[in-house]
Amino acid sequence: MIVGKQKPLEEIWEMIKGHQKVLVFGCNTCVAVCHEGGNKEAEILASLLRMKAKQENIDIEIRDGGIERQCEHEFFDSATDQVEWADAVLSIACGAGIQFTSEKWPEKITLPGLNTTFIGVVEQPGLFTERCAMCGDCILHLTGGLCPVARCSKSLLNGPCGGSAGGMCEISKDVECIWDQIVRKKMEQGHLDDLLKMKPAKDWTTSRNGGPRKQVREDLHE
Amino acid sequence: MAEAAIALEQEEHSTVEKQQEIPPDWKPNIIAFACHYCAFAAADLAGVMRLSYPTNVKVIRLPCTGKLDHIYVLRAFEKGLDGVFVAG
Repeated sequence: MIVGKQKPLEEIWEMIKGHQKVLVFGCNTCVAVCHEGGNKEAEILASLLRMKAKQENIDIEIRDGGIERQCEHEFFDSATDQVEWADAVLSIACGAGIQFTSEKWPEKITLPGLNTTFIGVVEQPGLFTERCAMCGDCILHLTGGLCPVARCSKSLLNGPCGGSAGGMCEISKDVECIWDQIVRKKMEQGHLDDLLKMKPAKDWTTSRNGGPRKQVREDLHE
Repeated sequence: MAEAAIALEQEEHSTVEKQQEIPPDWKPNIIAFACHYCAFAAADLAGVMRLSYPTNVKVIRLPCTGKLDHIYVLRAFEKGLDGVFVAG
């Protein structure tokens, strides 16, 4: 899922304080799972901002709302009245959701209330960790199901490097060396020789290096 | 320069609520969220025993204090309550 983190309240306040009617707009899918951008968080953030406005003695009307997903057309219908009311929409969806909201209502000011951080998993309750860098050319079959593109600090494809010590990465004692884990897993599975096979250089044009990406399903797309 | 610094300081302070004299008869307005199975039962028992508690505390029964949401507390403060008491 997409993981995000709400921007600091002060930063959000600076963005909204010049507007009259602000809708805090949640997205109840990915960013709700990490308890940062769901409709419930929108309600909490709106309450905090109303109290902030009262403290600062600034007259802003702040309401909260939200939909299930800000990245699909269908879900926006139920929010039409909410958005029409506002002159600024503070979306706490991921970057995709915020942009789609902005495209849906081009006359409204759309503001980001959340920083999109990564694609990750719920490793433990409240602990979200990165797993995928969206390179567009998966190599997990070669690396024992552990992704060095997302999880090696240098995205090395032929690690571990000299900075690996005791299973940890040189950048921080809290960061595991994924290449250490890849080698150990391959040894346990008896496939260490896989890592010795010659592989052509990775084609990064499927990643961000190839520009904005697009995907078409011809049987569904008119 | 010094004047500018003082003006800035005053401006910063203006956003902070000024401390006011507390009237002697003032009582904080408190809301109590009580769990149905323990704290609320205790409050109920107190009632049966004809014990009284201050009128500035308003009790709201929850099925469990696990039901208490962030927004319940925030709404209470937004509505001007002085304290939120959670018992369970």
